[in-house]
Amino acid sequence: MKRSKSIAEQGAPFFFLALLLALWEAAVRWGGVPQWILPGPLQILKTFGETFPLLLKHSRSTVLECLLGFAAAVILAFIIALLMDQLPLVRKTLYPLLIASQTVPIVSVAPLFIIWFGYGILPKILVVVLVCFFPVAISLLGGLAAVDREYVELFRSMGASRMAIFRMVKLPLALPSLFSGLKISAAYSVMGAVIGEWLGAKEGLGNYLTLSQRSFMVDRVFAAILAITVLSLIVFAVVAAVERLIIPWHRLDKR
Amino acid sequence: MPEITVQGISKTLGGLPTLGEISLQAVDQEFIGILGPSGCGKSTLFNIISGLLQPDAGRVIIDGRDWTGVTGRVSYMHQKDLLLPSCSVLDNAAIPLVLKGMSRRQARERAAEHFRQFGLAGFEKYYPSQLSGGMRQRAALLRTYLFSSDIMLLDEPFAALDAITRRKMQVWLLGVFQELHPTVLFITHDVDEALFLCDRVYVLSECPSEVRLEVKVPFCRPQSWRTITDPGYSKLRDEILEALSI
Repeated sequence: MKRSKSIAEQGAPFFFLALLLALWEAAVRWGGVPQWILPGPLQILKTFGETFPLLLKHSRSTVLECLLGFAAAVILAFIIALLMDQLPLVRKTLYPLLIASQTVPIVSVAPLFIIWFGYGILPKILVVVLVCFFPVAISLLGGLAAVDREYVELFRSMGASRMAIFRMVKLPLALPSLFSGLKISAAYSVMGAVIGEWLGAKEGLGNYLTLSQRSFMVDRVFAAILAITVLSLIVFAVVAAVERLIIPWHRLDKR
Repeated sequence: MPEITVQGISKTLGGLPTLGEISLQAVDQEFIGILGPSGCGKSTLFNIISGLLQPDAGRVIIDGRDWTGVTGRVSYMHQKDLLLPSCSVLDNAAIPLVLKGMSRRQARERAAEHFRQFGLAGFEKYYPSQLSGGMRQRAALLRTYLFSSDIMLLDEPFAALDAITRRKMQVWLLGVFQELHPTVLFITHDVDEALFLCDRVYVLSECPSEVRLEVKVPFCRPQSWRTITDPGYSKLRDEILEALSI
């Protein structure tokens, strides 16, 4: 009984998605929507298959930007969060700036990057850093701050150094929080790279997206969207897998 | 022979005089209870004895040496088990040895030797979240013991357990301590727990707390879980309750 219920629960989202796609296909097919306004899911899938080598080629640079940007964002977030955690003055100074930086719309900054740094890979990486930095920094900072003070005092009473306390207590206990931020960033990172490319690039999915759009090949636009979604999910899944590997104890805790 | 003397400790925390002037003493292998209403600064007292806090006045003398405001001499167990969820029970127990500079492998071996005695045999590789509350407290006690085996501060170690588990843990604790012979300072606000476990009990008043009463517990420690039926028991219990002005 319970087993069949869990199968039904797991199947529900797929079933719902299939239903939506079927409705879409039917509306396009029998509703008289022209192909260049809105293609049906089957047509998109067909285009996706046909243009797969092209998509793959563009994906390569997008993935590169996304990974480099993500890595840079994580390193930067670590440095900033550690400084803010250890030095109260730095924390007080940077915290409002950190929040304010998030209110700047990325689409308005990205063109500036292109003016400053040209059409190469750097401005795209910067956009990814901008998108990914904040969730990681905030989640790590929150995780470090949420560590029970009694842990720290216990370790202090055992004569542990500041460094040892950080390494043995604060960082491991902050990991679950850090990973929730990492997962958010991972899901956004591909989007960041695409936005960067969208505003001007020689290749990449964002570039492919704009080109297809300007030549009214809507089915290609959708194929590119599909590719972006799949890539985002893959990056997310990799981070989630790393999480399971690094903090196996966290899943036990939630039980 | 470990000997700990607390001389005229006083402390004001955040404008509130928490500890009035407290003096107490524990000598070789004594089990000392510190009994007081909640919020009377018992934990502050332990923070001072363990060296985490500097008192406003007074000194902490251990074996003739002044340890006021210096950590690292006595071990300290909190009410919460404070086991790291990220480490196995064995690694948790071995932490104090690692902090003292022992290699991880050596520390694990040393810690593992005590697992049977502490009722944890077979659970070395488990994570703390997989253990029951009583087992977690035993693991925390083992960690405490491995840091300093001769003087241990226990701050309401069983307060978070249910009544049945607590009773079992008390009986178990007496058994283990008969083999280990530590000198113990034990904070509690449970009069029966104090009379069951301790050789001597200090009763503290409310803030700013002072020692209101010091009693020797005359009953020989029960050999089992049996209720103490000595007629002196209820008299002593009443005396303590009166000192707590309940």
